[in-house]
Amino acid sequence: MAIAVEISAARRRSRAVSETLWVKGLLTALGVAILGLFLLLPLATVFGEAFSKGADAYFAALVDDDALAAIRLTLLVAVIAVPLNVVFGAVASWCIAKFDFRAKSLLITLIDIPFSVSPVISGLIYVLLFGLQGWFGPWLRDHDIKLIFAVPGIVLATVFVTFPFVARELIPLMESQGTEEEEAAVVLGASGWRIFWTVTVPNIKWGLLYGVLLCNARAMGEFGAVSVVSGHVRGVTNTMPLHVEILYNEYNYMAAFAVASLLALLALVTLAAKALLVWRFSREIAADARQ
Amino acid sequence: MIDARNVRKTFGSFAALNDVSLNIAEGELVALLGPSGSGKTTLLRILGGLEFPDSGSVLFDGGDATLVSARDRHVGFVFQHYALFRHMTVFDNVAFGLKVRSRKERPSKAEIAERVHHLLSMVQLDGLALRYPSQLSGGQRQRVALARALAIQPRVLLLDEPFGALDAQVRKELRRWLRRLHDELKITGVFVTHDQEEALEVADRVVVMNQGRIEQIGTPTEIYDQPATPFVYQFLGNVNALPCRIRGGQAEIGPLVMPAPSYAGVADAAGVAFVRPHDLLLSRPGEGGGSFAVVRHVSVLGAVVRVELSLGEHIIEAETSRQRHAELELAPGQRVLLWPRQARFFLRDGWEGTTLESREELARTSAML
Ligand SMILES: Nc1ncnc2c1ncn2[C@@H]1O[C@H](COP(=O)(O)OP(=O)(O)OP(=O)(O)O)[C@@H](O)[C@H]1O
Ligand SMILES: [Mg+2]
Repeated sequence: MAIAVEISAARRRSRAVSETLWVKGLLTALGVAILGLFLLLPLATVFGEAFSKGADAYFAALVDDDALAAIRLTLLVAVIAVPLNVVFGAVASWCIAKFDFRAKSLLITLIDIPFSVSPVISGLIYVLLFGLQGWFGPWLRDHDIKLIFAVPGIVLATVFVTFPFVARELIPLMESQGTEEEEAAVVLGASGWRIFWTVTVPNIKWGLLYGVLLCNARAMGEFGAVSVVSGHVRGVTNTMPLHVEILYNEYNYMAAFAVASLLALLALVTLAAKALLVWRFSREIAADARQ
Repeated sequence: MIDARNVRKTFGSFAALNDVSLNIAEGELVALLGPSGSGKTTLLRILGGLEFPDSGSVLFDGGDATLVSARDRHVGFVFQHYALFRHMTVFDNVAFGLKVRSRKERPSKAEIAERVHHLLSMVQLDGLALRYPSQLSGGQRQRVALARALAIQPRVLLLDEPFGALDAQVRKELRRWLRRLHDELKITGVFVTHDQEEALEVADRVVVMNQGRIEQIGTPTEIYDQPATPFVYQFLGNVNALPCRIRGGQAEIGPLVMPAPSYAGVADAAGVAFVRPHDLLLSRPGEGGGSFAVVRHVSVLGAVVRVELSLGEHIIEAETSRQRHAELELAPGQRVLLWPRQARFFLRDGWEGTTLESREELARTSAML
């Protein structure tokens, strides 16, 4: 009797398991299908189009003067914008997570603005502020400073758009870690500078690295804001995304996709780096979270 | 050594510390004891310079240290959750306080290593120097935190619930060990706890706190035997708090009448009598004095026997020895005579509106039998 009950219970359990297996399989298949349709297929198309006239044509399109200028500019912008935002983001998160002050929620809202405003609008605001007809336009012109339709404007717009990535990554992390370790360090006689480098930074390095990855990917790929402030001067103020657009509008599909393939590659590298981070340091990261 | 004078600290409109004054002598080990939220941590952090009082002052060795930052106070602080540097090894954790010194004062690498290893062997952690905090047990982390705090040879050691997060067995061991360590190093120490047993066992003096005020300061014996306020009575150890009437030098607890000579001037007032369970004497009818009570429940707890009795409408808890229990053959329903060896009375009005003045008044007028 007892055995019979047990067996029927086991059977019921195994049916429940096989049912969830079945559902799991279906859901997985659905997920893979959607992923393939919306992510992998376009990716494959990018590379397919890029190599449609052979590898020689592909590399020729990349070493074209304008393309090279666009790549250089994109790298330059990222090299300036990412470190700036790492510093801003780290300082802002440090203030928000480790101190109590009145304007705290205001600061958090400000940091989020670039996420909630369309990048095109952000670009327009820069034009309204610093353009020839803008608020500071005449003053800038008198002092011979050209921001809009020039490289500094592009850097500014990119810094603005990518501002939240590092801060957003760090604030929750630092808040969850609290201030006890820093307090312990103060009591032991360490200076603020020392505490920042020997206690705070090592504790946030993974989050920071992840934020840098995301920030960099966005800085190189930004289109909207940069498009408004750039002025699209070939070889001078064109970043890679803008160059892709120009080529595309000129029906030079192959070249457009060739440049686009570099951006796609960047995305893949970012993903791989992130996966690598999680895989390589998952134990340490988990240990950090546990403490 | 440490002198806190009229310290007041508010968070928003909430007074976490209300006019707290405390004097700690050189080499003393003091416990701050009180319920959750009574301001123990806040006081400790103010002593350590991690928090600054709104008014009042803190003196170290007679010099005003109220506004001296934690960095320059030279105290050892052990945090409730240890706050070990999670990305540093045990060795680096303990060495931190020495490594961050200015070049002039910093010991050489070899000296630092020697000192760290000495400290680690003192806290019985030799061999674990290269582990990370996440690879240690709670008790081991606790000892690393202690070694780290001691590494800078602090003037004072401040510990916030040092054994709070450990299980009972480890706790007991560690607190004896802390006491021994303290006796060896002769360092002035202040530790926070909400465990009365811990406070009474380890400390030279106990500071009982409640709602941001100090209720009583005294040696463990004083605190336990002569609680100054109803709060201390109830917080320390088991106690029966029985409503009573106080009339012309006598206290009436139901049918039980006890002398209360220091209330001779009180014509008729509501009061509360505090009686410890082990101060209640039980005897057979005809053998002793007191009032009749009825046994409701008897439970044998190791060496002692806890007896629940009803006296009039009051329920009273008494504690007696196993031997006495056998002699009396205590059983539910049985009538026994009950007599308190000692009791203490407080007037009802006095402590419901608890102001410091009325409390001092009460302490003076209360009666010991
Ligand atoms: N930074 C703060 N901001 C606001 N209120 C605070 C702050 N720190 C402490 N308090 C309040 O002050 C009171 C005393 O806090 P404290 O931490 O000193 O209590 P405690 O006696 O250490 O309690 P526990 O035993 O729970 O640790 C509490 O009511 C707490 O809510
Ligand atoms: Mg506390």
